[in-house]
Amino acid sequence: MSGMSNTPHVPMIPTGEKTSWNAIINSRNFDNINIDSNAILLDVLRDSTGMLGVKRGCDLGTCGCCAVLIDGVPKLSCLTLAAETKGKEITTVEGLADGAHLHPIQKTFSECGGSQCGFCTPGFLVVISALLNENNNPNDKEIKDAIEGNLCRCTGYQQIIESVHAAANILNSNEGVEDNTIAKVDPHPGIDRVQE
Amino acid sequence: MSKEIKGYRQQPGKLPFAKPGSGGSEPFSKLRDLDMIPESEGGKRPQPKGKNRHDHLLTGSSVGRRTPLVDSNWKVTGQAKYGDDIRIPNELIGRILRSPHHYAKIRSIDTSEAEAIPGVLAIETGQQHTDLFGVLPVTKDEHAMAVDKVRHVGDLVACVAAEDEATALEALRKIKVDYEILKPIHNMKKSLDDVDEPIHDRGKYHIGQSNVQKRVFQEFGNFDDMKNPHASSKEKWKFAGVNHGFTEPHAVVANWEPSGRLTLYTPQQVPHYVHRSLADVLKIPMHQINVHRTFVGGGFGGKSDPFPHEMCAAILARKTGRPVRITFDRDEVFYTNRGRHPSHIEMNIHVDDNARICGIETDALIDGGAFASFGHVTTYYNGVLHTAPYEIGSFHYTGARVWTNKPASGAMRGHGAVNSRCAVELGIDDICTQLEVDPISFRLANLLPPHSSTITGFRITSIGMRECLERVREACDWEQKFRKLPLGHGIGIGCGFFISGSGLPIHWDPNKFPHATVHLKIDMDGGVTIHTGAADIGQGSDTVVAQSVSEVLGVPIEMIRVKSRDSDTSPVDLGSYSSRVTFMNANAAISAAIEIREELLKATAEICNVGKETLVIGDRRIYQKKDPAVGVSYLEALHKAQEDRGALVSSGSYRTPPMGGVHKGAAAGLAPAYSFSAYAAEVKVDPETGITKVIKVWAAHDCGRALNPLSVEGQIIGSCHMGLGQVLTEEMKYGRNGSLLNPNLLDYKIPTVHEMPEVVPIIVESNDPEGPFGAKEAGEGPLLPILPAVCNAVYDAIGIRTNELPITPDKLYKQIERKMKVLDIKSPLDLPNPTLNHSELQKALDERANEHKIRDSERKLNTEREPYYNGTLFGKISTIPPEEQDENWTLSVTPSDEYLANPRLAGSAWKHQEVRHMNKGDDA
Repeated sequence: MSGMSNTPHVPMIPTGEKTSWNAIINSRNFDNINIDSNAILLDVLRDSTGMLGVKRGCDLGTCGCCAVLIDGVPKLSCLTLAAETKGKEITTVEGLADGAHLHPIQKTFSECGGSQCGFCTPGFLVVISALLNENNNPNDKEIKDAIEGNLCRCTGYQQIIESVHAAANILNSNEGVEDNTIAKVDPHPGIDRVQE
Repeated sequence: MSKEIKGYRQQPGKLPFAKPGSGGSEPFSKLRDLDMIPESEGGKRPQPKGKNRHDHLLTGSSVGRRTPLVDSNWKVTGQAKYGDDIRIPNELIGRILRSPHHYAKIRSIDTSEAEAIPGVLAIETGQQHTDLFGVLPVTKDEHAMAVDKVRHVGDLVACVAAEDEATALEALRKIKVDYEILKPIHNMKKSLDDVDEPIHDRGKYHIGQSNVQKRVFQEFGNFDDMKNPHASSKEKWKFAGVNHGFTEPHAVVANWEPSGRLTLYTPQQVPHYVHRSLADVLKIPMHQINVHRTFVGGGFGGKSDPFPHEMCAAILARKTGRPVRITFDRDEVFYTNRGRHPSHIEMNIHVDDNARICGIETDALIDGGAFASFGHVTTYYNGVLHTAPYEIGSFHYTGARVWTNKPASGAMRGHGAVNSRCAVELGIDDICTQLEVDPISFRLANLLPPHSSTITGFRITSIGMRECLERVREACDWEQKFRKLPLGHGIGIGCGFFISGSGLPIHWDPNKFPHATVHLKIDMDGGVTIHTGAADIGQGSDTVVAQSVSEVLGVPIEMIRVKSRDSDTSPVDLGSYSSRVTFMNANAAISAAIEIREELLKATAEICNVGKETLVIGDRRIYQKKDPAVGVSYLEALHKAQEDRGALVSSGSYRTPPMGGVHKGAAAGLAPAYSFSAYAAEVKVDPETGITKVIKVWAAHDCGRALNPLSVEGQIIGSCHMGLGQVLTEEMKYGRNGSLLNPNLLDYKIPTVHEMPEVVPIIVESNDPEGPFGAKEAGEGPLLPILPAVCNAVYDAIGIRTNELPITPDKLYKQIERKMKVLDIKSPLDLPNPTLNHSELQKALDERANEHKIRDSERKLNTEREPYYNGTLFGKISTIPPEEQDENWTLSVTPSDEYLANPRLAGSAWKHQEVRHMNKGDDA
């Protein structure tokens, strides 16, 4: 205890110098974000820009929950220094939907059971959206290769793969995904009088 | 409509009653979907398994339809808030100091240097918080932080709240702890012995001076039958411990609100137990606490204990007056563990000359790690959950759970049943090989019938085991493949049996309080609010409850909202464990909905002036069955029912029927229903490397009735994934000095998409008489059969029977080498490929299976059936319990001196005496 004031304080995690960071996240400009120069992109996205859809599962690049698109390419944000992405375009799960219209893969993940507990879902979705961007009709092998870095503990992947096929069908049909906010059910409908 | 209202006068120009916001998107209601209505109710749905008590409630709206999870849009948009996503302004970051030692006494803790760091607001240690808690009231043995000693690497020593994470970590580094290192125990066999310093002290209930936490002895049957078996299979198994591997690390946020109440935000499967434990540790009444269940990023049993870090967050937040958030790193998840127990299981199965299973002798020693957790129950489950689906002549189980200086084991999907089930199913396969009969035929000829009683007194109601086996046999083309595939290519079968809800609510008298309660509230808008405490952990419990209410009331699921997060607004519910939620909560929801349904029918009858019994409920409309034109919309009926009182509210609950025996431990494994499953797995094994690859799995599961087939299939496939991990790659690896070697997701190998075979889910619906619309569980049972199916397929492929999981290539290749040496073969490619030439027994088995099939369907449909007790297959009178008709029947829950003279491994735990008995001066 006595030597405390004499010993220079060397923290376990040395904080880097503060630096100003900017990026376009989900088409929105984030300027003058004050970060540590050694900050990890995952932390910046979650703590400084409010993108809580990006999940932290392992911190080691093993689970894929933190995947984001950097200039359209899937990357693990837990293994990426924020500084590397300065000025770049970053897409997280929050940026996939078009207003009230979900991205087809978001809709089909819901409908085909691609998401159970949902924690790995954001990572899968951004990776798959990148796949569908390049290839709107992927086969099973291409899908598996695309999601091989993502762990899912609930679904056993099968319904995820089905979701991708279903999303590809939507993309190829030009039907689009309906507005999620429209009136869905009338509590007071009339009745057609067909005999039961 | 022209009803006079006295005392009030309508204002001119105003409608008598405005219909609130009709969206108008869908102007016509649909008539009832007769395909979804059973024949007995005038619909078209066939009922091969008979009627169900809920048949008259079916409206064709929701049940049985593939329904996306009601909360899935939150998940796919990133809006779902999990533990670490709860961000309250002005929050502090909490961090936990963990023990670097396996076992040590804490002499002193000096926090002064850490407290001096700017930005550190609070440091707490165990000394100030000495109240015990634990998930089971009988085995409370955990503290918020270590009080006197640390019991495993990673045990909690102190916690810190600081302005940011770096500061909190820095503070941890500056806390000085003076440890007196004790001799740790890592080998569970050594924990059976007396030691100087047992890991816990249970006072007068302590078992000798040993580390035995719980021991079980059970003998049921006439053991004469077993003395000269026709064939036997004896195997000593070693199962590695596995972790749940959920993707979301534990996280918790505690916030003391201005009212002096605590809100704890936590991803919990069992919020109610946390609620109770917080009250104990914080010494405040439960009503002063609100436990908010966030979205749960996977549980599988691993988020069902009340955890010390939850206590720490509450303690730190109380001390600092600010919200505190604690999030785990992945290694902390592994050090918290509560995964499946590492186990030594000795499994002896005996059959007589009629190929009847005349005896099962199981001895299971399970490694509980440093705390009790659910272990009391696990110790029972390792034995009692393999007393079905087969009829057995006698059953002898000895089990012991011991403490070791490792992270605690606990409940994990398939709780306690998985390992011993694997051993049973391999034993049966081994016996079938000896008898030269087909293993599916053998199983079909040895099944308990529906509405029967097992040897230990479990009440079996519906049983779809036979159909599971038959459908799997057909789907996988068994006849063409089994024992006929080339070397290195094989197929195997395995079965499962699991509880659908635990019969005994742990915390209260089941005769007094219900297991589950659901409240409904319907206001003028017509939307239905469901209040339930059932914890949706991704399995879809909110969806199933919403579907059940939707079905009864005939309203689309979009009109239903489920509020299940806050203990303030939810009725008390025991949570998501023991596969109880669908069975108990949906049943409670149905009974709540029935009350509302009655109100709606009454109102419609009044408006239309017709008899209530002539009405049916369809899609948002209640009308006369014979003339659908006569009727009113749901909203009209609702508003009529709401006259004079506003919102309709109701409450429904579920309670298990009285059941089970009276012997010690009779309640363990009791359930209101049981699920059954049979899987076939096709594998390829490379004899030259020992690498096993599963190619395809046919998975039949009897879930009673699939309320949501989409979810049931998801559970089946997901269970296969988790089970495949345990059988092939996953293992909590401990080094020679007992340290955990792989506390991360790189070295702990969860199967990726490339390791996952195609799974063909086959849903079998046995229509349980007491289940909600006939449903039983589908969350845990589907995991059990995949392990033995793969192991048996490996045998079919290369003729080698494993007795150690996971089957890693190195272990399998060692066995291949050993076999080559024994057979004097040079190349593994010359290994003999197992073949099967049916013996004469095969015909007898097929005949018996056919007879039993007729017996079973008669029992299923005949409502006036007589009782059927296990033992009938062995010539006993079916309607009398075996213990009442066999003089030599043993029913014992304590070992005899004769047994103790030569006990098996776990059985040797009974050599000790409990301290309270020693004090009486008895000789040990």
